[in-house]
Amino acid sequence: MNEDFAPFLPLSPAALHILLALAGEDRHGYGIMQEVARQSEGQYRIGPGTLYDNLQKLMTQGIVEEAASPGRNDDPRRRYYRLTRFGRALLAAEVERLDTVIREARIHLRAHPRRAT
Amino acid sequence: MTRLLYRVLLCLHPPAFRRQFAGEMLWIFDETACAAAWMLLADALISLARQWLLRSGAWKLLAAGAGGLIQITVGGLGLFLVRRFHGPELSRMHAPMATDMARLIYLAVWVVGAVVCSVIALSLWVKDFTGRRIHHDA
Repeated sequence: MNEDFAPFLPLSPAALHILLALAGEDRHGYGIMQEVARQSEGQYRIGPGTLYDNLQKLMTQGIVEEAASPGRNDDPRRRYYRLTRFGRALLAAEVERLDTVIREARIHLRAHPRRAT
Repeated sequence: MTRLLYRVLLCLHPPAFRRQFAGEMLWIFDETACAAAWMLLADALISLARQWLLRSGAWKLLAAGAGGLIQITVGGLGLFLVRRFHGPELSRMHAPMATDMARLIYLAVWVVGAVVCSVIALSLWVKDFTGRRIHHDA
């Protein structure tokens, strides 16, 4: 499997948080909003407008897809979303990229600790 | 009241987006309404602007309309200046060149205006038609 993620990277903060929220399990829109707030300890929140704008884009790009509802008594308006295989690989590539950025940043900050002041 | 307002804002979204997500957005509003109704309204307002101006391509129509308006304004200004400075001479001397120029400006203004209006109408019709087709196919 040799996929080219370059056109999709770097991910926008909203897209990254949405993909992270879907990495653990399938979620509905409200669940994604809550998970994003939880993962960022309340520092990053997305409203429904931003969420669905991003979901629409991610679904068009084949990164996220709609999933079957797990519950029988779910509100019919509630729809679930999940990462596609490509979406999961893309998220891994983005995390890898961020990891490199953080490693570089740490090296530079350690090398010149006084420049920041 | 805020729910009704939120619903109206959702109804004003582009058809494709509205059909796909409006129900779920309203459900989220119902779940969180008491806590953050006004924030959700502001979010819907921003979403409305974003969907129409950025995602639906309506900005192209706005740019075309603005371009047409500028052209019409410039053409009208040219016509005004020709009449202002050469009007008496024109009527006295019947200068054919100046009257021809005035007619040309008139014609250009009407042609540009008609083309812009047709493009806008056609784009809106095509968008509506394809939107309906996609919905049907789904």
